[in-house]
Amino acid sequence: MSRYARNIELECKVPTVGASASNVVRYKDYELQYSNGMPIRYVAFPFPVAGQPKSVHRSYVEGKDLLSGKPMMQAIIDALTKPLTEQEKIKGMPPEAIPEPRLLKPDTDANLQRLFKEKEWTDFHPIVLPTEERVAQMLKGTSRKPNEVLSRRGPGGAREITVEKAAVYAVMAGAKPEYFPLLLAIAAQAPSFGNSTTSMANMIIVNGPIRKQLGMNSGTNAMGPYNEANSTIGRTFTLAGKIVGDLRNNVNAWESLGSSLQYNNVCFAENEEELPEGWEPLSVELGHKRTDNTVSIGVGWSYISSVGEAQRDHPPHMLIRDYMRSLSGNGSAATIVMDPSVALLLRNAHGFKTKSELAQWLSKNVEVAAATYWGNGVNATANTAFAFQGLEPYATWKKVSPETLIKPFINAKAIQVVVAGGKTQTTWFVTDFRFGRGILIEEYR
Amino acid sequence: MAALASAGWAPPAIGQGSGGKTADPQLITVLNPAIASRMAERMPLGPRIDTLEGKTIYMVDIQWGGPEAAYSVYAEMQAWFSRNMRSVKTVIRRTSSSMFADDPGLIKEIAAKKVDAVIVGIAG
Repeated sequence: MSRYARNIELECKVPTVGASASNVVRYKDYELQYSNGMPIRYVAFPFPVAGQPKSVHRSYVEGKDLLSGKPMMQAIIDALTKPLTEQEKIKGMPPEAIPEPRLLKPDTDANLQRLFKEKEWTDFHPIVLPTEERVAQMLKGTSRKPNEVLSRRGPGGAREITVEKAAVYAVMAGAKPEYFPLLLAIAAQAPSFGNSTTSMANMIIVNGPIRKQLGMNSGTNAMGPYNEANSTIGRTFTLAGKIVGDLRNNVNAWESLGSSLQYNNVCFAENEEELPEGWEPLSVELGHKRTDNTVSIGVGWSYISSVGEAQRDHPPHMLIRDYMRSLSGNGSAATIVMDPSVALLLRNAHGFKTKSELAQWLSKNVEVAAATYWGNGVNATANTAFAFQGLEPYATWKKVSPETLIKPFINAKAIQVVVAGGKTQTTWFVTDFRFGRGILIEEYR
Repeated sequence: MAALASAGWAPPAIGQGSGGKTADPQLITVLNPAIASRMAERMPLGPRIDTLEGKTIYMVDIQWGGPEAAYSVYAEMQAWFSRNMRSVKTVIRRTSSSMFADDPGLIKEIAAKKVDAVIVGIAG
């Protein structure tokens, strides 16, 4: 919203006031400093705005602006008519660029642990302090130079992630130097760590021979807290994501509920050894070779377990279909993580010779009422405009009656199937994680 | 920390491979994990107008939460102006795409139609 307000002010030279609910407007000061640069004048309504009846909206308009305490409409009039303050006339680069020295002031172990927590550089578990010796040891895991910039994040790419910073995060998370090329691949090319008012999270899946070389777990308890590599690789992404994004609670981290998935980012390896005949690893499905070492990072929100054993009369693909009706369907994205025993059942008893065949069956058979699809705020926010523009299938889905069944998973290629687990239960997870193309690890050695 | 140690976990002792030793054996030196961040270039607001009387206000709905999420807030504002400042002309406009995309056409329209003031939102 602030982007819109700034563009109108700059390009149209028209006085503008940003109207927001209180949940968003509380981050305006951080955004002014590091992102927008323009001291947009705001008014704040109570939260929430969406989903409220018109009578509540009327009360908002007739009520008080939560920022100024004035009657709302008077506050709007004032924002558009009151002369600018000196602060609102400031122009140019601020002189107080914040330096960050390479080393922190020497201190005791306890004080440094406390400092790291106060700065929100941790996940509030103890961290391994990144001494020069430990970081140097981590850097031996790659041939890359410590000062090489891996990527630039944040507004205007202002925040540079160097190889040395990535090593610092790896040390803090307790990772080993042999994990470092994989961690560099993540640091260089991963999507941003989830930070949305929604409860966004990430999923990290490793494919290729490197899984075994690093001792990653793809078998029993692959997704649980039972393996050092799975645990610390996932944790490194959490620490790096928080620090690189400068994500601090109620400063500029604003997920209403947050997600406990963010402690480890659902990090595991695919059980390639147990893939049924004809079923290819995720990396191959995403366009790589079986011999490639890749790390694939998904973005999503939802995670549903099948809980019990597969049943003959209503087999796994049907129950997966049923559970997928609970996903948003946004972007046609879903990722099914299943035990090898389920994969084998689906192949041998139900005829799905490839992952793609299963994805196509799900694409054709998952149906939800149009009202359910549009009742999801992510779909309403992201796709309604496409419907108004006449873009299919959204235009049709918008025109049909609310109870009409539609097939939201129109793109079977966005439905991924991943095999992991130790064959102790015919179980699976349905999730809405969306994957881009996996990242090749070799170039970060 | 004692509880952690009793659970079989303990941090490496200083001076036993922890590195970062300083002259004072109690103090250790560590790398700074923080990344320097440039402050955004400051841009001033444009001049305000003296009054809204007789002016045209665009109410721009960015469709946060969907096209129906906040539209009726604007409708209520429009009704308020009709009741209390009848000389003010109000126009409600939805952006052409979702809140994640810019709408250059609407920006051009606001400039071309010599709109006097804009309310944009509603986030949240």
